[in-house]
Amino acid sequence: MSQLGCSTRILVIAIIIVLILTLVSFITGAIGSKLVQIEALRSLSVSSPHVELPAEPVTKPLFSLGPLGEFYINNTYIASWLTIIVLVGFFYVATRKAKIIPGRLQSLAEGIVETLLNFVEDAAGKENGRRFFPIVATIFLFVIMNAYLALLPFFGPGIVRTEHEEVLASTSGVVASVKVEEGARVEEGEVIYILDTGEEVEAPINGAVEALLPVGASVTAGESVVTVKNQWPLFRSANTDLNMPLAFALMAVIFVEYWGMRALGTTRYLTTVFFNFASLFRSLGQLFRGKVRDAFGGLVTGIIEVFVGFLELLSHGVRIISFTFRLFGNMTAGEILLLVVVFLVPWIVAIPFYGLELLIGFVQALIFAGLTLVFAIIAVTPHGEEEHT
Amino acid sequence: MDPAAMKMLAVGLAAGLGFLGPGLGIGIIGYSAMQALGRNPEARGTIMTNMILVTAFAEAIGIYALIVAIILAMVA
Repeated sequence: MSQLGCSTRILVIAIIIVLILTLVSFITGAIGSKLVQIEALRSLSVSSPHVELPAEPVTKPLFSLGPLGEFYINNTYIASWLTIIVLVGFFYVATRKAKIIPGRLQSLAEGIVETLLNFVEDAAGKENGRRFFPIVATIFLFVIMNAYLALLPFFGPGIVRTEHEEVLASTSGVVASVKVEEGARVEEGEVIYILDTGEEVEAPINGAVEALLPVGASVTAGESVVTVKNQWPLFRSANTDLNMPLAFALMAVIFVEYWGMRALGTTRYLTTVFFNFASLFRSLGQLFRGKVRDAFGGLVTGIIEVFVGFLELLSHGVRIISFTFRLFGNMTAGEILLLVVVFLVPWIVAIPFYGLELLIGFVQALIFAGLTLVFAIIAVTPHGEEEHT
Repeated sequence: MDPAAMKMLAVGLAAGLGFLGPGLGIGIIGYSAMQALGRNPEARGTIMTNMILVTAFAEAIGIYALIVAIILAMVA
């Protein structure tokens, strides 16, 4: 027991305390409150999760980009700027007064950079490794920081922006029927009340309904009849906005093509990877020169190679979609999972799911950067041309 | 059958059936990686790297099914 650093008795007491806390957290969640049915224990419970896929705006539309729509700052946009500040700030502070024998912060930064450089150079070789390193390492660090910063308490529903909208009655009347319940979510334009004059009161924005009037209450014109409240988080993980993984994917694919064309020459890259007409033309030439028997085998191979070239072109295009949706799907699924789990079993029992989210963030960053690296290596190696005799 | 029930059925089927394929796929990848590792423990680095790589591809297909299910449930 000497390896533990404490005596057996303290260990047992600590385990018992953790188990009690786990039980408390289980009881006060949504599952536990249905099992135990004690209203007083709802202190730790979280409101029902409401998930929206598109990123929510933080400011009013700032300027319009014509047919592309309007530009406003989203909560994922602010989160990505936060990641940039954290990353750039960390590396700036770590290497500000760089010494030959590094201090702790500098050796942490050096360790990160050296691990990534070894990873890239082991796969790609020394010279190509140095060329691929900036993009691959940036993708890895940016994706993993986006994913990890999203686990901090002030992200997600920690800090919310609220939008209140009071609905004013346009005419007087008496409430004839109430269509929604208190606290229910309504869409924009959904009917909330029907007055006895036949007029319908609609919700102006999406949100939860508050302060509903009961049936039979009379309203006067210009009076507030109901409030619709919409809450959304101020910061949200940048990987959960579809645009960010799309930007990464476009950057990765464009750079892979660029490196391939730089290494092999543009025309050679295009003609050996995508448009493999060389073999077909050679066998057509053989056909016209009269060597019919050789030409037939060559023709079949030539047509197959052309077909394979077009498939390769298609697969390069599908890479963009695949990169985007792999990262977006994993991160969004993780965010939804955390929201739902914290609603069902808050506090301690949700800790393993945070661990899962940590693992998934790391694996997705590694996979994105690693796949970019692998595609780059494939792009710069010349395809072996078969010699036809 | 009313549309709300149909939608729930669609979401459940899309997610559930969509996860069958990648689950089996990742299992097969793991099986072959274990076999290769057993035959040649020295090539551990190469084997594990390639296993993670191919697992990423298989996992992506599962994520596509999840995206379809999420879009059906939340947006449609």
